[in-house]
Amino acid sequence: MFGYVRPPQDLPEEERRRFGRAYCGLCHALGERYGPAARFILNYDFTFLAILLSDPEEGPVHHGRCAAHPVHGRDRLETTPALALAADESVILAYWQLRDGVEDHDWLHGLKYRGVSALLEPAYRRAAQARPDFDGSTRRQLALLAELEREGCPSMDRAADTFAVLLRGAAGEVQEPVRRRVLEQLLYHLGRWVYLVDGADDLKRDAASGSYNPVALRYGLTQGLWTEESRRSFAATLDHSIHMMATAFELWDFGVWTPVLERTLYSGLFQVGKAVLDGTFRTGRSKKTTPALEQGGDTQERDT
Amino acid sequence: MNDPYQVLGISESATDEEVKRAYRELARKYHPDNYHDNPLADLAQEKMKEINAAYEEINRRRSGGGRSASSGYGGGWQQQYGGSSSTFQQVRTAIQMGDLSRAESLLNASGDHGAEWHFLKGAVCYRRGWMDEALRYYQTACQMEPGNPEYRRALNLMQGGSPYRPGGENFGTLCAGNPCMTLCCAYTLCNGGYCCFI
Repeated sequence: MFGYVRPPQDLPEEERRRFGRAYCGLCHALGERYGPAARFILNYDFTFLAILLSDPEEGPVHHGRCAAHPVHGRDRLETTPALALAADESVILAYWQLRDGVEDHDWLHGLKYRGVSALLEPAYRRAAQARPDFDGSTRRQLALLAELEREGCPSMDRAADTFAVLLRGAAGEVQEPVRRRVLEQLLYHLGRWVYLVDGADDLKRDAASGSYNPVALRYGLTQGLWTEESRRSFAATLDHSIHMMATAFELWDFGVWTPVLERTLYSGLFQVGKAVLDGTFRTGRSKKTTPALEQGGDTQERDT
Repeated sequence: MNDPYQVLGISESATDEEVKRAYRELARKYHPDNYHDNPLADLAQEKMKEINAAYEEINRRRSGGGRSASSGYGGGWQQQYGGSSSTFQQVRTAIQMGDLSRAESLLNASGDHGAEWHFLKGAVCYRRGWMDEALRYYQTACQMEPGNPEYRRALNLMQGGSPYRPGGENFGTLCAGNPCMTLCCAYTLCNGGYCCFI
């Protein structure tokens, strides 16, 4: 479910570097709070979450070396309460995503998920203790989603709602009421968008394995192939969620993070959605270098 | 009141044309159409009031302190509700109060599944974020009562509205990175294609 939210490739250099500092800052916060093994969950999606939760100012920057950049080092944000929150929530999300992988596969194919989730388990236990509300709501929503999958729920919106509500919970600790409303609305539709794009991305694989796919059910697709009409209708529903994210985004001052968030919402999501619909997303990302990597964010970007 | 120039994001030395351009850009961003049925519409309305007041104030100062001749975008926030049965009126009130569960249970208990019922189901779905189902309810409402301007407006805003995007660029997944923007948008999802479903 991760790997779809990323800044556009034409991000200006200054913003690319700023994004890289947040990426390295989150990596450091993960290592600091949960040990080096937790750093492997780092991705752009979690960095985006960290930025959304961050204060309008960037805060102190530290230059340091790490295992991935032992010689020249990298600039990174010092750990702030927002980065700590994002790190904790990222561990919870990544852990349950891995457990979901265990449930979805037979014993043999589930081995890698079982192994990695066991590795992450001590970190998860601490994160769940630190953020019990988010952990509780995440478990509830994933249980609900599993039930809908078992039933073969034909409503794309109902299925997507489970993941959307789950992600909305990431703003649960935000105190300021207006900021919280804005973030909850933005994260709800980000969750909906991610769930739907993931469904579209898995169309062919799910068709081959006979797995539940809400997008295929909604449009009655056979063999995971789009018709022109269904493709257009699906793109429209993605656009409706992006519109909702954008209208929420415009109602709060995200300070120095405004340009990178603006470019991601108004360009990055369109680009990813289009690539998924065109079937070029998976091939594209194995070949292209992503923005933070170019400027040396880290080498640990991966699709969980 | 905050500094009106700061509200519009410009300096005091901005020309009249720059003031107007900044105002138009912000007014497009927070326009009621861009927040139609949006759960955050109240916040956008506050923004719009602030922008209108700032624009009025700058014009007043520049015209020598008299009453400003220009007027900002106004109105558009109030839903225009036609006559409807008392149950549906209660549903509308519940939606306006943000009580979607009550609106939904009232609709589910209603035996009248006419055009208005579908429209209101659509409005509940839209606010909840169930955009695919919202669109389909609006479509059914318009098919059942093609002449109703309220239903048609809701559908048109979903299907062919012009969502704000900075710099006036087209808004849409199928247009992403497409150099043939006009061709793409002639019949699909971007502001170029303001199409009417009915």
